Amino acid sequence: MLTSFQHIIRGSFILSDLNIYHKKQFESEWNFTHNGRLPDPSDISYFGNSGNRIIQYFQNEKYIASVVLPLADKSYLGILIGPKLGGSEFSDFDKITLQILLQVFDNAYKSFLNQKKEKELIFELNEKVVQLNNLVDTVIEISRFENRDQLFNIALERMSSLTNASSSSVQISRDGQQISVYTFPQNLKLTEIADSEYKIQSSFVHNNLTYNFTLAEKETRIGVSGFNELDKLLFNAIVRQVNASIENQYLNEQAIEKEKIEQELTVAASIQQRIIPEKLPSIEGYELAGINIPSREVGGDYFDCIDLGNGKFALIIADVAGKGIGAALLVSTLNAALYSYLQFDISPTEIADRLNKLIYKSSPSDKYITFFIAVLDSNSGTLDVVNAGHNPIFLLRKNGSLEKIDAGGVGLGMFDFGIPFKGQNTIMNSGDILFLYTDGIPEAMNTMEEEYSDEKMIDFFVLKSEKSAIEIVDELVQDVKVHSGKAPQSDDITMMILKKN
Amino acid sequence: MNSDFNLISELHNTTLVIKTEGYINNIGGEKIVQEFTKHGDVSKLILNLENSRVVNSIGISHLIEIIEKLNQTSGKLVFTNLDPTIEKTFSIMGLFQFADKAENVESALNN
Repeated sequence: MLTSFQHIIRGSFILSDLNIYHKKQFESEWNFTHNGRLPDPSDISYFGNSGNRIIQYFQNEKYIASVVLPLADKSYLGILIGPKLGGSEFSDFDKITLQILLQVFDNAYKSFLNQKKEKELIFELNEKVVQLNNLVDTVIEISRFENRDQLFNIALERMSSLTNASSSSVQISRDGQQISVYTFPQNLKLTEIADSEYKIQSSFVHNNLTYNFTLAEKETRIGVSGFNELDKLLFNAIVRQVNASIENQYLNEQAIEKEKIEQELTVAASIQQRIIPEKLPSIEGYELAGINIPSREVGGDYFDCIDLGNGKFALIIADVAGKGIGAALLVSTLNAALYSYLQFDISPTEIADRLNKLIYKSSPSDKYITFFIAVLDSNSGTLDVVNAGHNPIFLLRKNGSLEKIDAGGVGLGMFDFGIPFKGQNTIMNSGDILFLYTDGIPEAMNTMEEEYSDEKMIDFFVLKSEKSAIEIVDELVQDVKVHSGKAPQSDDITMMILKKN
Repeated sequence: MNSDFNLISELHNTTLVIKTEGYINNIGGEKIVQEFTKHGDVSKLILNLENSRVVNSIGISHLIEIIEKLNQTSGKLVFTNLDPTIEKTFSIMGLFQFADKAENVESALNN
């Protein structure tokens, strides 16, 4: 624009010399504006020190006129007009023409500034649309990523481009120890970002990991500056979306894990259902009743009565520590081993010894089984029993006396010290009742977290002893349920009643 | 601060092909302008952005500067191998009103 203006003035007056200067504001230094021979630095003294439009004409000087023209953007144009070629004077007509040309330039410059301003406004408006559009796209994209590398890289790219940041980073740490770092651009060192003069940070904690995001140096055409409120808004929006994406991913994984556990529990339940007897054998001269009510999570209770032939029966009740498929598989192992050992005429103590070795070898250290076995000779009424760490088993005599059977040893699979289990023998007489149960009965909780208790269970058992075996079982279960009320069943409820007629 | 930006260029008569790599920000934009200015008499600039996935508005302002310079001499700028996000950004910023786009450098050279 200045070059054109220079050509117009020089052409209009046919000048020998013409120098144009510009300064950004009143206090600034004058700058020579076009290429070619540099004029004498002292020439600028022709402009004087006024901030108004001034045209001065000189006689017998190096220049015949000087112009100071204040412009719309508060900058100044300085013009030094040399003599006309041919030496003619700068006429009044020339002076009027110069005035007109200066006014035309002033108007053209205003128009140029308006156009520039308009372009900048359009650019800014478009930039805002881009920011909004990219933010929406970024939020959608980030929510889709399952791969953490992709998630962090795209988040850093987008937050940098949306805010005109030079660089960005995310530092992931646990308990102050850095675990990993991502930067944009990727070859950048974290220290370069940390040392930046202008930076903003945002962080969140998820699953004991701290994610610390940094955005460094907002770029402009003339250098770098601090970030504005909109930048902070965009930055925080993306960080929040990354947080949401990580949380969603975590919850999704949890849901998959839960589904897997539920599938395992279904398998465990089906294993247990196959093991627990649907129907107990009938024993001549005795009443036998039993029940197993599994809790919501598959537990490890087990009971059975196995006909050994010749009027002999093995009554077993057991409880595996823990729940789920592990417990169900251990019950399955116990059941298979028991059936195998009971084919041979070996004592309950020997069975307990063998089972202990087997369970000790085949299960982790935190898994063990409390186990009770009583081999009944139904003809003589003799009971040959072993209690391996199980709750005491009660024998209620017809006369009302209650005997506790707890001789045996520790739970199966806890230790393998080679110490034999101790057995116990007793005889069931007419009217005697044997009561086998698991801890799910005395430990049944109500909503106040109060246990049903051993005392209440024994009292109820004694109170109902005149009833049939099946009635004792049913009514005891009912009493436990009344106690528990709306509290969920936390453990399996299992019991067996053997009553000699 | 360091930049990941690099470029290579080839001149085919008065057509300059610049292939960029990395973030087109202020530094990247300045380097493109310098490379364009260095070659003087260019009637067509083909900007291959295959290896640039991220651009900011300062980088775009440098590209607009090149577009304006080319328009003054009836030249043209052609963008190629555009990442969809960059293409969308350029579109919103109105760059395609004054510059063309092509799928790749070969088709830009032939048009």
